[in-house]
Amino acid sequence: MTVEQGVQAVDQFPVGMRVLAVDDDQTCLLILETLLHRCQYHVTTTDKAQTAVELLRENKNKFDLVISDVDMPDMDGFKLLELVGLEMDLPVIMLSAHSDPKYVMKGVKHGACDYLLKPVRIEELKNIWQHVVRKSKLKKMKGIVTNGESEGNSDQNGVRANRKRKDQLEEKDEEEQEQERGNDKKPRVIWTRELHNKFLAAVDHVGIMNAVPKKILDLMNVDNLTRENVASHLQKFRLALKKITNEAKQQANMAAANSHFMQMSSLKGFGSFHHSPIPLGSSQFHGGAATMRHYPSNRTFAGMFPHVSSSLPRNLHNDGGHMLQGTPFPPLENLHINSNNKAFPSFASQQSSLLVAPSMVLEGHQQSTSPSFSPHLEINKRLEDWSNNIPQSNVHSEPDALGWNMFGNSTNQTYFCRDTEFGSSSAAQADSLQMKQQHENIFSPMTVAQLLRSSSANEGLFMGQQKLENGFMASDAGSLDDIVNSMMTQQEQSQAEFSEGDWVWVA
Amino acid sequence: MDAHVAQLQMQYRNYILSLYQQGFLDDQFTELKSLQDDGSPDFVAEVLSLFFDDCVKLVGNMARALDQTGTVDFCQVGANVHQLKGSSSSVGAKRVKGLCINFKELCEAKNYEGCVRCLQQVDIEYKTLKAKLQDMFNLEKQIVQAGGIVPQVDIN
Repeated sequence: MTVEQGVQAVDQFPVGMRVLAVDDDQTCLLILETLLHRCQYHVTTTDKAQTAVELLRENKNKFDLVISDVDMPDMDGFKLLELVGLEMDLPVIMLSAHSDPKYVMKGVKHGACDYLLKPVRIEELKNIWQHVVRKSKLKKMKGIVTNGESEGNSDQNGVRANRKRKDQLEEKDEEEQEQERGNDKKPRVIWTRELHNKFLAAVDHVGIMNAVPKKILDLMNVDNLTRENVASHLQKFRLALKKITNEAKQQANMAAANSHFMQMSSLKGFGSFHHSPIPLGSSQFHGGAATMRHYPSNRTFAGMFPHVSSSLPRNLHNDGGHMLQGTPFPPLENLHINSNNKAFPSFASQQSSLLVAPSMVLEGHQQSTSPSFSPHLEINKRLEDWSNNIPQSNVHSEPDALGWNMFGNSTNQTYFCRDTEFGSSSAAQADSLQMKQQHENIFSPMTVAQLLRSSSANEGLFMGQQKLENGFMASDAGSLDDIVNSMMTQQEQSQAEFSEGDWVWVA
Repeated sequence: MDAHVAQLQMQYRNYILSLYQQGFLDDQFTELKSLQDDGSPDFVAEVLSLFFDDCVKLVGNMARALDQTGTVDFCQVGANVHQLKGSSSSVGAKRVKGLCINFKELCEAKNYEGCVRCLQQVDIEYKTLKAKLQDMFNLEKQIVQAGGIVPQVDIN
């Protein structure tokens, strides 16, 4: 894209925003393409993730945003997500028919800007341009922040210089930024859960051995965060880890230790607490950046129990050790959490009581596995407190209302959990039974063999259509995607209030 | 001529309403229709053609997966169900989508007979829908040929 074109496009933004859409399902891809066109974006589609990667690599400046399906045959959507985030640093939106929160969580942890449920509605797509703006803004700020430190940033600058479009934005506002910078006092950095999760993701990505503050800072991509902030946080983190792993080694003698627990890669799990009982308040369940729940930082269990029990059943698939499994809580009496935020050194004293607890209560759990829970308890709790657990801005209790109780199957490898579309499924069931009776004469149930042999050619059904006037109101296509979407984008939606009148139609 | 058109239009309207009422279609179909305009007059037809193509392909895959003498790969079946669920929900094929939800559970439970039965139902269901929508499109054609305009149907 030439400089002039870039400038023009920026002026009309978000009209003409260049989106790359990836989905192996051709029906969904066509619908998505049309919806995006309707939002006045410029759309490129492909049904192969590999092709998408090639397109992106060919020219990093060719696209502003990527929307990708999660389940694709040639490449896992999450892998694509990670890759794009790392190599091209473009905002990526995930798309899926999986309404399961663990998928949403996974998407967030892999760096997705947003997670949309199928069927996608046009309202949701109309807001996606905000991710492009946000990302470029963050980069700008980060550029200012890191430039302010006396470190060799040549690599960074080189990489950023490749992104012409964003650089143009940077150049425009650089003067203003520099003026602001002089006036800013560096506020004390509070390590919110969201921030801590970004930190964890970054550490996890470079590997704990390779974790230097500079790299973590870059990956975290947060404005107003200095290398020093990251460095001190990393130091604390390392200390905490050390302590925990030392204690855990002791615990490991008590029962069959879960191998995931000891791996460094399981650091990721600290964000969302892998394995079993996270007895602590539910605010810790959803360690993902878009924390799904808000709870007071009051740490006594008694206070939190009512909330917790309703949300308990979060049996999430045991995936690589960083998904959590819902289990009943240990008895409250035995667990007294120090409500002091910087509590982790003081937890040493709590240790014994915590260890005792799990073995007592966990119903449905074998005795042999319960001791291994305790290290997790420890870790989760400690890291929670240590990272200044602060209630998040995304406040939702709606997931409870939906009754996302998906437990039953705990450790099997399938990733299909029960859907919660109870209403529609029961209605559909009733309907289909009815329908079947009506239509038995027309279509007799085919055996599997018949189905195999049946070569139903798809004759061209639909001939020329008459234009239909646009008079339909789109009412909500599903409450689930409303909720998930609102969980993910509540902050963003409140910011993205644009009026259509500002957009210029580009033919 | 006008009376004829009016009659056809009423017939069309009732037919569409019945499809919604009987649960064949849902709001997503409404959305699809709203995307159709002068610029893309055949949009709905195009999308539905793709969808039914997908149905054929996916049902075929699932039938093959369930036909294994020996171990059935339920994950494979499940993956196809998932895809069908995605596309059916995107076009507003409400009953098909509903069946997919049940189907998924059956796959997870590795309930072989249940899966086979569900697959048969899915097969019936999408073909029924196809026939119904064909009728709808034919009605539209008739209206146009009679010189009328296809009415927008308010499903509320």
